[in-house]
Amino acid sequence: MPRLEPGTGKTKWYRSDGAVAVYSALISILIGMAVGAIIVVVVGLLKSNISPAGIWEGIRLVFLGVFSTGRSGSALSFGFNGVNLGNMLFRATPLIMTGLSVAVAFKTGLFNIGAAGQFLMGTMGTLSVGLWMGWAGVHPFIAWICAFLTGVILGGLWGAIPGLFKAFLNINEVITCIMTNWIAANLVTWWFDSHEIFKNSAEGGKVGYIIPLKNVGVVTPKMLMDVLFKGSQANGGFWIAIIIAIAMWIMMTKTTFGYELRACGSNRHAAKYAGINDKKNIILSMAIAGCLAAAGASLYYLSGNTEFYWSTYQKLPAEGFNGIPVALLAANHPIGVIFSGIFMSMLNISGIQLKYLTAYNEYISDIIIAVIVYLSAFSMLFKTVLSKKLRKGTGGNVNAEPEPVKTEEAVPTEDAEPVPELKTFDEEVREDYKELMGESAEKVQTESEEGGEI
Amino acid sequence: MSEYVIEMNHIRKEFPGIVANDDITLQLKKGEIHALLGENGAGKSTLMSVLFGLYQPEAGEIKKDGQVVKINNPNDATALGIGMVHQHFKLIEVFTVLDNIILGAETTGALGFLKKKEAREKVIALSEKYGLKVDVDAKVEDITVGMQQRVEILKMLYRDNDILIFDEPTAVLTPQEIDELMEIMRGFAKEGKSILFITHKLNEIMAVSDRVTVLRKGKYVGTVNTKDTNKQELSNMMVGRPVQLEIHKKPATPGETILKVEGLTVPSKIHKNNAVNNVSFEVHAGEILCIAGIDGNGQTELVYGLTGLEKASAGKITLLGQDISNASIRKRALTGMSHIPEDRHKHGLVLGYTLEQNMVLQKYREPRFQNHGFIKFDEVRKYSEKLIKDFDVRSGQGPITIARSMSGGNQQKAIIARELDRDEPLLVAVQPTRGLDVGAIEHIHAQIVNERDQGHAVLLVSLELEEVMGLSDRILVIYEGEIVGEVDPKKTTPEELGLYMSGAKRQKELGKEAE
Repeated sequence: MPRLEPGTGKTKWYRSDGAVAVYSALISILIGMAVGAIIVVVVGLLKSNISPAGIWEGIRLVFLGVFSTGRSGSALSFGFNGVNLGNMLFRATPLIMTGLSVAVAFKTGLFNIGAAGQFLMGTMGTLSVGLWMGWAGVHPFIAWICAFLTGVILGGLWGAIPGLFKAFLNINEVITCIMTNWIAANLVTWWFDSHEIFKNSAEGGKVGYIIPLKNVGVVTPKMLMDVLFKGSQANGGFWIAIIIAIAMWIMMTKTTFGYELRACGSNRHAAKYAGINDKKNIILSMAIAGCLAAAGASLYYLSGNTEFYWSTYQKLPAEGFNGIPVALLAANHPIGVIFSGIFMSMLNISGIQLKYLTAYNEYISDIIIAVIVYLSAFSMLFKTVLSKKLRKGTGGNVNAEPEPVKTEEAVPTEDAEPVPELKTFDEEVREDYKELMGESAEKVQTESEEGGEI
Repeated sequence: MSEYVIEMNHIRKEFPGIVANDDITLQLKKGEIHALLGENGAGKSTLMSVLFGLYQPEAGEIKKDGQVVKINNPNDATALGIGMVHQHFKLIEVFTVLDNIILGAETTGALGFLKKKEAREKVIALSEKYGLKVDVDAKVEDITVGMQQRVEILKMLYRDNDILIFDEPTAVLTPQEIDELMEIMRGFAKEGKSILFITHKLNEIMAVSDRVTVLRKGKYVGTVNTKDTNKQELSNMMVGRPVQLEIHKKPATPGETILKVEGLTVPSKIHKNNAVNNVSFEVHAGEILCIAGIDGNGQTELVYGLTGLEKASAGKITLLGQDISNASIRKRALTGMSHIPEDRHKHGLVLGYTLEQNMVLQKYREPRFQNHGFIKFDEVRKYSEKLIKDFDVRSGQGPITIARSMSGGNQQKAIIARELDRDEPLLVAVQPTRGLDVGAIEHIHAQIVNERDQGHAVLLVSLELEEVMGLSDRILVIYEGEIVGEVDPKKTTPEELGLYMSGAKRQKELGKEAE
């Protein structure tokens, strides 16, 4: 609960819930980066081909890889690197979309672990329709729209399946999501396997790739990205992702639809009591999540820089699962997802820089991501601690109750109850724990509570 | 030897920004039943937590038999012979009664094997000695609430506690069970055990206690001998102003039928039988019809069936002449039904939402609050500020307070504000005063009566016998999903109601009517 400033009745921005969420995400990131640096040092000390100077280079690349401009002479040089920054935004695009997918579902109380499958369905729809329309000579702009929409709709339908199971049979969406992921992987493999025309046999030496959409000219316009980041893979898909993120934010917070969705997510029973169709909202929420993940795939393959390896039945696309840490790090805030998506992709770029410029390999960045993912689960804990600290800092008047309306007669109810003593349900449970297990249980309870948030 | 077994002298316990216990003194004599009376938030729980070692006081001392003791944790409390029956039982549902009783105080033989046989004998001996009938081999999930409470009491006895704390023990019991409990408590006192009895029910205090200590807003008000006081004086001490204990209302003037229920049947989720079986009744404008009964006899399902939260398998519901038997929840609400739900956390509020968002839980779709799907936030704010003012809902930050952080009483007030302001011809109120204290109850009762006087029909479901007797104009008693009696509150007695509620009595002709 943000602290009220005496007098104004408003919360200072740096103490608001949002600010605290940002601080806690930053803490996760800093610890993750620090762990990454430690690993760089340890690996450097263990490997004979890395000198102390090499270790220092590795650390600098972990933090500033995206600003690396290669080597001038023997020393690493840093500065504005349009290619790296542009590639960072390009790679961030699908992450932002799958992050949005997970975040929106989460706000409705659903854990969308099926973004990978939805991503694949989007890929299939976009590539097939894009190529077919390209060959049929449809105007590239119309072909782009149709390819994008087909992918999005297919992903949405795919996402709706776990939603249907959840709404009507109360089957946990995590289980159906995992199953639909693999069904999608096999379905997509079968689709491209049985349609030879999509296979790229024209370019020599390429086995198992689908013809890229740029060959038929169906490509997202650059929308100034080529001016800003010359020579990079960046394109207008990034702007589209940002627009979608803002639209999602507006939808979730400003509309009656978002109000219904969040009510269902927060308390399905109360939503039902209020006459909200909880089943409809669960299905819609999963469908929207599917659309978002699939839109990520569409933008990725419409970029003109990417090729799809169709034999996916053994491996699900990493973008699907990386949406989860992106959403977690952003505390499921649609706007926050833009930044966490860019950050994740920055680490990726750093990893590549490490690989090319030093004797390290790129997997260091995967370890950093792993640590951050791990810590982002704790971000709720950081949040609680930070809120308390911020409140304590000014010895605040937390109980800033409005002036009693009636001053004539003593107010009868329990309102005299001190606010810190108000037992919310969680506190009650925590107290029960304490009574059962003594003080030490409090800490355990706090942590397990955080775990439950995921 | 001191006169008192437990003395808590000048206890002070602070929480950040507030003093929960301010110089409170409580002295418990050996062999007495000592009631601790106070509204929610008066500091009763904090004081008991201090005694039980959950909190350390900032000032004051605790004496046991005249010796100053330091209670650092519940284990210390147990070692001093202090035991507690919590309001919400601390039992493991899938364990047997015996396992629950010995849990944490198991006697073990070589290699750590349990000596269950000895434990069993001890438990049976105790239960016979004090008349605490339990089935030691039954699982806790299968036994009644009354028996669960006896298990909790046996837990204390098994640990040879002689200072027994009962935290709101009667909240879940039927009148007959309450009498039994009172008898058991008197038996303990006779044995020389000392009892601390936390409650806000004045009848019980008058019936069983020897002395009463009253707390108000964290402060000590006084200790009086029960025989020298009366209910009115006690409630005035507790609330700090004269309280109307009796509900004052004009005689009802029932008008046309608002709600007509015919042969309503709702299947149970727990067992194969119907939770509500062929129930028929009518509610008229300007009357309060009360469904009385022991918890778990189908009241919840009856309301679910009425409001649409659950599907009825048979029957016809007519509201204002419209058949709503198969209508959606929203349709029913819009036809003219508002609903104060039984469980304010489950159904009543979206706890993660702010107070203002909760205030428009049904109304957000009205053109007043939305424009092409976009919520009009300033209208929502204005409306919720009005409700907050009119119904005196207190919270830390007004409209933007997260509902979860509000006190139970204010959460309930918020729901009541929302539902009454919808101004529908039928109000379904399920246990509207559950867990609230005298002051808040008085307020809510007055509003329900006011609702009736405006010509609305009120269907009240309550487990509190006093509320049933005081508030209703007509009482239907439900037992095992069937209406077993219709009585006039002015002509009946709690004892007669108790007989209907426990299934011992039944009006024959009612059953025939329903056929």
